[in-house]
Amino acid sequence: MADDMDHDDRAQGVDKRRKGRGHRDTTEWADRYGGARFKELDPNAKPGPTASVEGWVIFITNVNEEAQEEDIHEAFAEFGDVKNIYMNLDRQTGFVKGYALVEYKVYKEAQAAINEMNGKMLLEQTIQVDWAFRKPQRRR
Amino acid sequence: MADDFYLRYYVGHKGKFGHEFLEFEFNKDGRLRYANNSNYKNDEIITREVYVSQSVIAELKRIVEDSEILREDDNNWPAPDRVGRQELEIVLGGQHISFTCTKLGSVLQVQNSKDPDGLRIFYYLVQNLKCFVFSLISAHFKIQPIQK
Repeated sequence: MADDMDHDDRAQGVDKRRKGRGHRDTTEWADRYGGARFKELDPNAKPGPTASVEGWVIFITNVNEEAQEEDIHEAFAEFGDVKNIYMNLDRQTGFVKGYALVEYKVYKEAQAAINEMNGKMLLEQTIQVDWAFRKPQRRR
Repeated sequence: MADDFYLRYYVGHKGKFGHEFLEFEFNKDGRLRYANNSNYKNDEIITREVYVSQSVIAELKRIVEDSEILREDDNNWPAPDRVGRQELEIVLGGQHISFTCTKLGSVLQVQNSKDPDGLRIFYYLVQNLKCFVFSLISAHFKIQPIQK
């Protein structure tokens, strides 16, 4: 993947604090991709949120560590049929890590969920809700 | 460029089924690249690319910061070997870490190492990052089985 980090640093005169063997230990496996390209769903799209393979995915943060999938489902079902929920646990503590992904079939439903739920309370915490995926556009 | 951000994780080994590896990379524009390679049963590389929103990048940064991995160093971590190799490269908050390690099979291996506390942070951060990436990639690309 990107090996040009070092060039950028020196070119800008920035002296990042560097740590780790990886800076010195240049892997002989650098060409592990053999020219393979990275598959995207729709490489020619115009800017904005983007559809996923079967629907539209929103991203929720600051989720209470004791939340259950049911709580997410209940809060987000009023905007449309919830097709999928991903809510991961912290691998060490077992509590909810803090984020969740919710999928709706239709753009309108996902947009409504974002508009209504962003900045609202869920289990006594203020959640943020936004699109998960967007079309490629270099951020300035 | 104090707001610069980059994260890459690699885990892999070379063996009977070729160079088997998992790798993912986020850049600050939100481009997520994912690759999983194996020649098991003559399989080929799987690659995926999607742009995530700035909310997702912000959450990724939070996960990294909360782990305090940037305070650690890999000096006393077991080096990559025939069993396997892990690489974690992160640019965040003016720091650029590039850690390497062999594959970690268990908490016991972490506990018995020369830097159990630092290595434990790495061990769990890697698991949390994988969960994060697998969920994003699945949500965007995976077609759900038909429910009867």
